[in-house]
Amino acid sequence: MKAAHSLYGRLLGWLTLPLLTLGALLLLQAWLEARTTADHAYDRLLEAASLAIAEQVQRQDDRLWLDLPPAALEMLAGDAQERVFYSLSDQQGRHITGNARLPLPSDRSAADGGLLYRDIDWQGLRLRQGIRRSRLEGWQSGESFDVSVAHTREGRDALRFELLRGNLAGILGMGMLAVVTLLMALRAALRPLTRLRHAIRTRDPRTLAPLDLDLPRELAELRETLNGLLSRMRRVRANQERFIGDASHQLRTPLAGISARAELALRQTQPERWRAALETIHSTSENTARLAMQLLSLTRLANPEYRPELIPVDLNDCARQAVRDHWMTCHQAGVDLGADCLASPVHVAADWQLQESLANLIDNSRRYGASRITLGVMTHPPRLVIEDDGPGIPADQHLLVLRPFHRGRDDHEGSGLGLAIADGIARNHGARLSLGDSAMGSSLRVEIRFPEASQ
Amino acid sequence: MKLLLVEDDALLADSLLELLRGGGHRVEHLNDGDTALARLASAEHGVDLILLDLNLPGTGGLEVLEALRQHDPETPVLILTARGAVEDRVRGLDLGADDYLGKPFSLDELEARVRALLRRHSRTTRLSLGPLELDVTTLGFTLDGDPFPLPPREQRLLACLLRHAGEPVDKSRLAEQAFSGEPMGDNAIEVYVHRLRKRLPAERLALRTVRGLGYLLEGDP
Repeated sequence: MKAAHSLYGRLLGWLTLPLLTLGALLLLQAWLEARTTADHAYDRLLEAASLAIAEQVQRQDDRLWLDLPPAALEMLAGDAQERVFYSLSDQQGRHITGNARLPLPSDRSAADGGLLYRDIDWQGLRLRQGIRRSRLEGWQSGESFDVSVAHTREGRDALRFELLRGNLAGILGMGMLAVVTLLMALRAALRPLTRLRHAIRTRDPRTLAPLDLDLPRELAELRETLNGLLSRMRRVRANQERFIGDASHQLRTPLAGISARAELALRQTQPERWRAALETIHSTSENTARLAMQLLSLTRLANPEYRPELIPVDLNDCARQAVRDHWMTCHQAGVDLGADCLASPVHVAADWQLQESLANLIDNSRRYGASRITLGVMTHPPRLVIEDDGPGIPADQHLLVLRPFHRGRDDHEGSGLGLAIADGIARNHGARLSLGDSAMGSSLRVEIRFPEASQ
Repeated sequence: MKLLLVEDDALLADSLLELLRGGGHRVEHLNDGDTALARLASAEHGVDLILLDLNLPGTGGLEVLEALRQHDPETPVLILTARGAVEDRVRGLDLGADDYLGKPFSLDELEARVRALLRRHSRTTRLSLGPLELDVTTLGFTLDGDPFPLPPREQRLLACLLRHAGEPVDKSRLAEQAFSGEPMGDNAIEVYVHRLRKRLPAERLALRTVRGLGYLLEGDP
């Protein structure tokens, strides 16, 4: 049902429920009250009639005798054409006279001196009966007798409905008023929500400016949350825009080289020149593609919103996997890549980026003249060590080469991004990347030092 | 062998078709994910290897792979993609890809991977590398067509290396697959490898050591 999912519907539902309950209770009370009032009014008639009858009871021939004046019963038959019954019975409950043998309650002591009222079903008729216990005045014997008077309920019911009708109009009026007020209140309370929706809907989808809207406290919190999200999105977008700028700049240069080389080759006719040009174009395009990938990695790293999903990883597995992935490439380039793993596992929290970091470091060593690269694992603290026998990096350059686009050595092949990416990934893992001289003299040793496992 | 190339970039596809057809394969080329889905919908697709690009128009490569693996866990799939990140590679391998090449790749590397995948998933009973041939059912080797008898352990070792020719095989995996059940230290494996190496014609088959990892068998060094 749709209403259940709307705030308006939900509020309306929860507010209407008590209102309906209250209305129902009021109705029930009005019904009961009307009945009491109607009974009360008509019971007075029963009382009067029974008294009138009791006064007519005499003793004749040692028997009770009743000479009933018609007026005594007429007062019981109102406009509603009720049927009226009476009976006179002696102390033992024997019927003496009357126009009906009305039943008497088995326990009549309660009626002594007063009047007992009760509702009875008699020969298919719903009757209200009044029973009066009385004595003959002035007779020593003091014999008591019961006068029972009953009439059908038409008059009572008519009065009751009339009373109820009056009450009902009042209750309905109140209910209507309550519902109208409720609807107006709800609409007024939810109006800021409509304004917020309208403000969001009419925004230019390209803008990430904060929402400036006066709202009640609960919605102001929502607005602030939304503005927080927008500001984070602004940061991410600024980051992306910077990347696109950097990337287009970085990529345009080698593409210009490729284009120039091809154009030049097309003007020449010697096949050996074409071949030379094609070889250059091939290697430049490979480097350009690698540069594009590295730029992408760097942007991901620089993304302030990126949080790596860290899972426990064995550094030995990590090193072996990297050797497996890059062995062929290194082997074809005449580089001996190997691992130096430990027998027992060394667990750190890491994600897939760690492989990318190792890929960049292996690639870096391979490009800068190493002939032997070894990935090592050490403990206390957990460390990954990449050692090569290349020319190494002078100590004063160790920090500089970690900067993006810094070309540490006089090379024309590198992008100056590999070490920066590896460093960025290490930072994302809470690890530190440091450069040093390897034990083999003028070669490079890169160490990624992880924090000691906290468990 | 029947290969299916699903790649939307015309320039790259043309080069790959030329390369693979030149290598003696029958190659069928599709350039979007939807037709690939339809083509591979039946289990009787008759393809021996699928080269699948991830970034396809319409249905993406990973979805094609997922749908294929629902009814066909066997046919090897080599993913080719410009999405270079290891993250995508992990997703691809999780979905049941057998290997992965990030664009750009060298054609040599592609050829090597295709060869390795076809060898590993070969339904024939014979595996070969250069002059060496193995009858999988009898584990009998031949070298240049002549029987090449080996002691049982070296025989199993060579069979395992041949099955994975062109890729490094971990020592632990060798121990598990070639000496299954036998307690075998790293040193013992080294001894068998050393003996095996001496028997192989070094100028045509190389059994290389991958330091700290294991060994690799390579033809035509």
